[in-house]
Amino acid sequence: METAFFELRGISKYFAKVIANQDVSFSIQRGEVLALLGENGAGKSTIMKILYGLYKADEGKLFKDGKEIKIDSPKEAMELGISMIQQHFSLVPAHTVTENIILGNVKGIIEQKLLGEEIKRLAKLYGFELNPDDYIRDLAVGVQQKVEILKALYQKTNLLIMDEPTAVLTPQEAENLMGFVKDFTAQGNSVIFITHKLKEVMSVADRIIVMRAGRVYGDIKRAETNELELSKLMIGRDLNWVNKDERQESLDQEVRLELQQVTLQEKTGVPALKDISLTLHKGEILGIAGVSGNGQQELCEIVCGALLPTKGRVLLDGEDITERKIRDRIDLGIGYVPADRSSDGMIMDMSIAENMLLKSSYDKKWQKRGFIDKQKLNQYALQEIRDYSIKAPSPETIARGLSGGNQQKVVLAREVDNGEKVIVFDQPTRGLDLGAVNHIHQVILKERAKGKSILLVSTELSEIFALSDRIAILYKGEIQGVFNSAELTTEKIGLLMAGFREGEVSNDAG
Amino acid sequence: MMQAKLRDLLITNILAIVLGLVASGLMLLFLGKNPVNAYSVLITSVVRDGYTFADIFVKATPLMFTALAFAFTYKANLYNIGAQGQFYIGAVIAAAGSLFLQNILPGWLVLIITLVLTIVGGGLWGAFIGFVKARYNSNEFLVSMMSTYVALAIMNYLLRTFLIEGKAEYPQTDALAAAVWLPRLIPGTRLHIGFVLAVLACVGVWVLLYKTTLGYRIRAVGYNAGAAEMSGINAKKLYILAFFISGALAGVAGFTEVNGVQHMLVQGFNPDLGAAGIGIAILANGNPIGIIFAATLFGALKVGGTIMGQMSGIPSSIIELMQGFVMVFVILSYFVRTWLENNREKRKLQKAVAK
Repeated sequence: METAFFELRGISKYFAKVIANQDVSFSIQRGEVLALLGENGAGKSTIMKILYGLYKADEGKLFKDGKEIKIDSPKEAMELGISMIQQHFSLVPAHTVTENIILGNVKGIIEQKLLGEEIKRLAKLYGFELNPDDYIRDLAVGVQQKVEILKALYQKTNLLIMDEPTAVLTPQEAENLMGFVKDFTAQGNSVIFITHKLKEVMSVADRIIVMRAGRVYGDIKRAETNELELSKLMIGRDLNWVNKDERQESLDQEVRLELQQVTLQEKTGVPALKDISLTLHKGEILGIAGVSGNGQQELCEIVCGALLPTKGRVLLDGEDITERKIRDRIDLGIGYVPADRSSDGMIMDMSIAENMLLKSSYDKKWQKRGFIDKQKLNQYALQEIRDYSIKAPSPETIARGLSGGNQQKVVLAREVDNGEKVIVFDQPTRGLDLGAVNHIHQVILKERAKGKSILLVSTELSEIFALSDRIAILYKGEIQGVFNSAELTTEKIGLLMAGFREGEVSNDAG
Repeated sequence: MMQAKLRDLLITNILAIVLGLVASGLMLLFLGKNPVNAYSVLITSVVRDGYTFADIFVKATPLMFTALAFAFTYKANLYNIGAQGQFYIGAVIAAAGSLFLQNILPGWLVLIITLVLTIVGGGLWGAFIGFVKARYNSNEFLVSMMSTYVALAIMNYLLRTFLIEGKAEYPQTDALAAAVWLPRLIPGTRLHIGFVLAVLACVGVWVLLYKTTLGYRIRAVGYNAGAAEMSGINAKKLYILAFFISGALAGVAGFTEVNGVQHMLVQGFNPDLGAAGIGIAILANGNPIGIIFAATLFGALKVGGTIMGQMSGIPSSIIELMQGFVMVFVILSYFVRTWLENNREKRKLQKAVAK
């Protein structure tokens, strides 16, 4: 067997309270695409950060071409030809493409023009359409990613590590990325993909490392496996996937929530939402598809009352609630699971019980003689912990110590109870492991069956398709169309998400 | 588990205080004084008689209030640097109210009315900071700091005009009638009922913060204003309320000092109560119960330091140095505790893996 390009042998990493990696060993060959598959918290990112010099392993060794190496900083990693693109890009928005690419690799006088030419040539080589003088802040997320890749290429990278690279991309952009990966590895370079998406793994990887709970549970060639086997390895058990056919058709067609020509003007004068009209019926899930940042969050916040529309009206059961504030809307029975739970949905430094109280602290039911009825609150929290199988020792556990999935379940449990009529879910499963995703999907369907109206915003098409009765596509703050979910295909929705209108879609697709 | 934590807490805090004293001792060496001597004077002096010992708590009383004032807004993630000014406003109101009412109403009633007035006055003075923060998003740190100078100027003006003593010689008020002095707790000492008030205030603030929904909301806004707003909590209203309570607490310090200790209002008295309060609040990590102990420690250092200065010729300002050193080491001890805790968890994990 040929010597591995890079090899990790017996790596262990302990953080306080958790084992991040334990005895992890695998190798990567030249020209190979390796997928690192696993649920969130399985230790994928940690092991890659060790390889990239961001973390120091507690035990174990690293090898390059059979020789032992030490990597103590990203700088040393780069010198060995390793680059890593983090999930959240590390670009400077106020700088140009060129300035970002040369950041940290330039000394003395900067020859802008010369460097620009070089970057253009490099971009052309891989078929990237990029203007080196554009400012990062003006670029779409997909293009920003290309800048990150170029940055790595500029540093003559041989091993490119990408952490969840397709999470922010449209299906078309993702396809382009896969094309690049193939070109890049064809020249003898290697790529490691960190992902939890099975489809992606099956389409691009040569070999798959499956991780669970910090250990390697499988090292398999793509050709010798299938999605089912991988998902079992990843989760360690079988899952009951939500199946559309099992659902009852919605019978009730009574309108619950209505948005009438809602427009939201930003301070800059650009409308974040433009002339949006939507109806949400009782017992219905309305999916909002779209690439993130196209007005989804604004839409959700208008429904829950955090933002007031510049124009248009919001009706709940026929009553005008446009001017009602958040607290009133909570009392009216509108629940909201925000996309960013750590900044909008919960208080990380408070306990689970205290987080349960967050939206109903004015409610007399939690008070006894002017004080918080701690016993009642703890009992309630304990019940929710059991009902939602939140992994926490007690209601007093501080939220920060929970895993992302369990934190999300806390928010979910609270909002399901708050939202007696309408529940808004903004990316309810983003970044969660399959077990948690599955659980959350079951909860959403259960609430729908109770007759609640659900607005489901997601950038994950599979989620939209699996749950929605109807689907609306949001692009640059406008509704591209509302469809019954059976009318749409992945391709069609992808084009709608990219800004094509329905007429154009059929032309293009035809 | 819990025991290990408590053990860490005790050991590190005691060690921090000892290290603070050792470091200050080194400074004494530089001054050519014998630190062992100085410390034995310090310790024996504070316990030499009941009067001096009780004075520790007399000194701790206003410190508890100003520390609470800082800690309270701190829980809402706001910084009230203006406790000194709120204290002056409280002192002015206490002196003026007592002098005006002492000949009209019975003493006990004057005390109650004056207390209420200082609460309202200090509270409104503080609430103004919260108001401009909420309304104009001004920086509460700067506004509160500057408000102290305004309060000082107002006090100085009043002491030269309306409140000046009968013979109009010095910028100070007439002495308060004995009927409106705060009752003594122990005869023969200066310890007055204000100390009880201060301890009750600490307990009260703790209850308010941790046992009521209002306190819960204040802490929620402090930890994450965005999530609190998103949950229908009006953060701006809470900014004003938190600053009102904070200002009221500092204002009461003015009441206990004027009616309990000075029995008059003198220009520029107790000029470092606000700053010391911040230090104490930090020392106690913002915990109202911890403030009782931290303020007592500072009170002891203050009393001991003054006597030490008188007896051994050591400048009493060395006490400020000691306070500083103790504070630095206590703050460092937080990090040491986290580090110990993490290591313990890590060892437990490695042991579990090895099995």
